[in-house]
Amino acid sequence: MSLRRRLLLILGVSFCVLWALAAAWLYSDLRDQMRATLDQRLAASARMVAGLIAQLPEDAWNQAGAPVLSTPQSTGVACQISSSRGQVLMRTHGRLAGELDTPAPGFTDRVIDGQRWRLFTFVQNGLHITTADRLAERAALQRNVIVVAVVPFVVALLGSLIALWLGIRRGLGPLARLHAELSRRDPDMLTPVEIGDAPAELRPAIDTLNALLLRTGEALTREQRFTSDAAHELRTPLTAIKTHVQLASRLPTDQAGDALASAEAGIARLQRTLEQLLTLARIEAGSPISETESVASAQIVAAALADLPARERVEVHAPARESLEVALPRELAAAALRNLLENALRHTPDGAAVELTVCAQPERVLFNVSDRGDWPPTQSTQQLTQRFWRQRHSAGHVQGSGLGLTIVAAIAARFGGSLELQPREGGGLAACFAVPRVSPV
Amino acid sequence: MHVLLIEDDELVGSGIRSGLEIAGFTVDWVGTAADARLSLAGLASDVVVLDLGLPDADGLTLLRDWRAQGQTVPVLVLTARDAVADRVAGLQTGADDYLLKPFDLDELGARLQALLRRAAGRASPVIEHGGLRVDPGNRRVWRDQHEIELTRREFMLLEKLLHARGGIVSVEQLNDSLYGLDSPVESNAVNVHVHHLRRKLGSTLVRTVRGLGYRLGAADAGGDAGTP
Repeated sequence: MSLRRRLLLILGVSFCVLWALAAAWLYSDLRDQMRATLDQRLAASARMVAGLIAQLPEDAWNQAGAPVLSTPQSTGVACQISSSRGQVLMRTHGRLAGELDTPAPGFTDRVIDGQRWRLFTFVQNGLHITTADRLAERAALQRNVIVVAVVPFVVALLGSLIALWLGIRRGLGPLARLHAELSRRDPDMLTPVEIGDAPAELRPAIDTLNALLLRTGEALTREQRFTSDAAHELRTPLTAIKTHVQLASRLPTDQAGDALASAEAGIARLQRTLEQLLTLARIEAGSPISETESVASAQIVAAALADLPARERVEVHAPARESLEVALPRELAAAALRNLLENALRHTPDGAAVELTVCAQPERVLFNVSDRGDWPPTQSTQQLTQRFWRQRHSAGHVQGSGLGLTIVAAIAARFGGSLELQPREGGGLAACFAVPRVSPV
Repeated sequence: MHVLLIEDDELVGSGIRSGLEIAGFTVDWVGTAADARLSLAGLASDVVVLDLGLPDADGLTLLRDWRAQGQTVPVLVLTARDAVADRVAGLQTGADDYLLKPFDLDELGARLQALLRRAAGRASPVIEHGGLRVDPGNRRVWRDQHEIELTRREFMLLEKLLHARGGIVSVEQLNDSLYGLDSPVESNAVNVHVHHLRRKLGSTLVRTVRGLGYRLGAADAGGDAGTP
């Protein structure tokens, strides 16, 4: 059920019930009041007649053989005066002859001639003064009063229902616009939602939604770019392999060797890219890597250098006696350091040395790798660690997978460390890979 | 025919060059957009193979610039990106064909032949010229139903002249088509090939236009070929 319908139903039903209760209350109150008022009128009439009679001489009634006064049938209050012996001295409403006789003092109801009457009898000096009026007349009067009271009441009720409907419709307008806007949109549409004058209650929801859309859009763009980049990175070595394998089959046997060697180089590159991609996926997906491991910095350096080509070009400066434990699994720490060293070597002209310095801080251990390589001077850490960013260089250079620094940054981020890349004075790059230190207990 | 190959990846580039050379093309290979601009300005390339991911510029930018300059050489775009949007962008920018990596060397050769054929306004893969029948894809020539053996350079020369459809081809253009940028050319190398071609296919086939170059003549014997 829609919000508007629900509100209309709840408020409308409550309105009607409350107004109906109020009306019932009013009606019963009004009825009692009218009955009391009309009874009072009967009693007051009787007393007034009694007051008038008291002014007459005692023997005024003695000559009267028949009723003194008799008026024709009419509406309104009827009156009869009779002696204690039951003789009617005076009456209005001639047709009521005998019917008003000998009632008990006070109020009584009686049916006369098929009509219901209310009677009041007052006794004074042996005279019975009876006044009466018709209940039907009372009911008609009561109906008139109620009609006069109820019509504005009902009009007001209808008016408030209409006002309620309009108010809800208008008040919920922004919600309706939001609904229309959202149902109009393509599911893939990631542009911000805008519905004009959003009320304060809705603003946070819309802002949150828009922020979410923005983030989703960015993540989607990033993923699309990554997929596209990954496709490019995997297809290029695959192309090299396929082309050279085809070449090998077309060339004379003695020349086919070169083509096969090139194909093999392509396979090696493909393998490296795949492995790096898988490593990155594992680190970023947070798949189970033992988090509690720790390893000595010397072991990391040894593992990183173990299978590094051209490791003789790396100058290591590390504190020999001190054991620096870092909170990082050994394989990942070595992989990160190895990636840094490989990058430095790749960008450094043949023969030039690359420096690796290990130093300790109270909380962290820093692995500094400095080279004199041909890095572009203005690249930021963020750019250099972008997936598949790689330096565009002249042909003939050995290319990396474009994932090395990304992996180092991902490892650092996963284990609470950091990676900072700074251009060096006089050319080259200084990479600082900082990891949390396990304090010696 | 001369192919300008623009590809920054060392392994892929060397493979394509060797493959196209086996298929009978003269290939010049450059790795950057800057070199590509220079090469196309200085060389009479018949077709260009363009990789989109170049180190110094986007391949599409290069292509757009060329088309803006009125360069009409057919361009086949090579790319590892397979999104439809990329392909559409490539073709709308002025590429004549599009090949996704990894591709088949035979397919690349066939597509280049098709581009050349379309550029020359021919529909059939086999060229008929008088009593001469030439199949550039398979590099075979028949004269009056008899197959004639041509050397690699002779065939290239014949192909270039046929491609010009009777138009004049300068000695420089023939040099580019036969040797490209890298091979050092002796001054009379083209003359030697013209001489051999006339001997095998008839003296009227290649006509000398003095001071300008050569053009295709009648395939039937008879008439003076002039002095080269």
